[in-house]
Amino acid sequence: MAAPMVVGRNIRTFGRIFVGVSQSFLQGSIGLNSCRYHGRSTLCRPLQLPATCLHTGTFSSSLPSSVIVTEEPDTLYQKVSLLVKGHDKAVLDSYEFFAILAAKELGVTLGKVFEPPKNIERLTLLKSVHIFKKHRVQYEMRTHYRCIELSRVTGSTAQVYLEYIQRNLPEGVAMEVTKTSMEKVPEHLHEPMWNDPPTEEKPSQ
Amino acid sequence: MRTLIALARVGTPICVNSGTRTLHATAICCKNRAARIRVGKGDRPLTYEQALHPHHIGHRKGWLSQHTGNLQGEAGASDRTVEDMFVRRFIFGTFHNCLANEVVIKRRGNMLVVCALMVQKLPPQKFYFLIGYTETLLSHFYKCPVKMEVQTLADKAVYKYL
Repeated sequence: MAAPMVVGRNIRTFGRIFVGVSQSFLQGSIGLNSCRYHGRSTLCRPLQLPATCLHTGTFSSSLPSSVIVTEEPDTLYQKVSLLVKGHDKAVLDSYEFFAILAAKELGVTLGKVFEPPKNIERLTLLKSVHIFKKHRVQYEMRTHYRCIELSRVTGSTAQVYLEYIQRNLPEGVAMEVTKTSMEKVPEHLHEPMWNDPPTEEKPSQ
Repeated sequence: MRTLIALARVGTPICVNSGTRTLHATAICCKNRAARIRVGKGDRPLTYEQALHPHHIGHRKGWLSQHTGNLQGEAGASDRTVEDMFVRRFIFGTFHNCLANEVVIKRRGNMLVVCALMVQKLPPQKFYFLIGYTETLLSHFYKCPVKMEVQTLADKAVYKYL
């Protein structure tokens, strides 16, 4: 049940990468790199199924047999950045360990993993209900951050990885995802304007 | 003070008391009293949660209510707090005298997980019924899946006596 699904998804992702490389003006190495990292299987043996290519556990429970094969090219992301916020630093440490382990097992390239400085919001309030202005009480809310960047991922890989990561997000932890996608250069920008012949200019009236 | 100085100038012989008239602004507000149980005779049992003071939260204590409302850039803190208060009172009332410690409320995605430590005062069938009743009622009320994780003890876990 799971094996044909994996084959289907593999072929689909490879198909998308082929289409993307031929049509786009991007460097071909990007597509080949993502091919390589997808499962450590070379282009000449697309049917070999590496065990760590895709995590089908959670997928099969939520989407039993809906593998969509389309001809449109998959979106390519130059960088997918996850910013995780929480009150407890130990929880963020363990979540980072889990996310990095998942990325390594699934073959997703990791970029930088760093810790932005924490943010403390402090409130100074009156301690008493009625008077005693000189006696105050201070509260603070600490937000710790952790940033994990994935580089050069395809849209379907990113979707699978993010769904797995987000299903296992601990309570009290929030995540923001920023995706930087790569698009083809538009047609009218291929050639510089000064190369065009002057007869193409429209008359003013 | 002014009356005494005035009388002294006039020169009338008065027995001036050694005490002065002053205004004493009490320092009652100086000590913190929030979530603290004062030291007593030594016969009052306290749980770990009650024995540690609120400035130990994050260092020696954990959080009783875990949600993302209080993080920087996140909204909905007041709604979560109101829901938490209602859930705590509801659980306190449903399981009368059975709670061993404070209720811990966690929010994972849409789900509300209520974790409670109970004392084995009721037979297990009644416990199961009350857990199911709480889960159904709260999920209908809050329109989200509510799950309870209950662990029972024979007696309350005492950390120290104050």
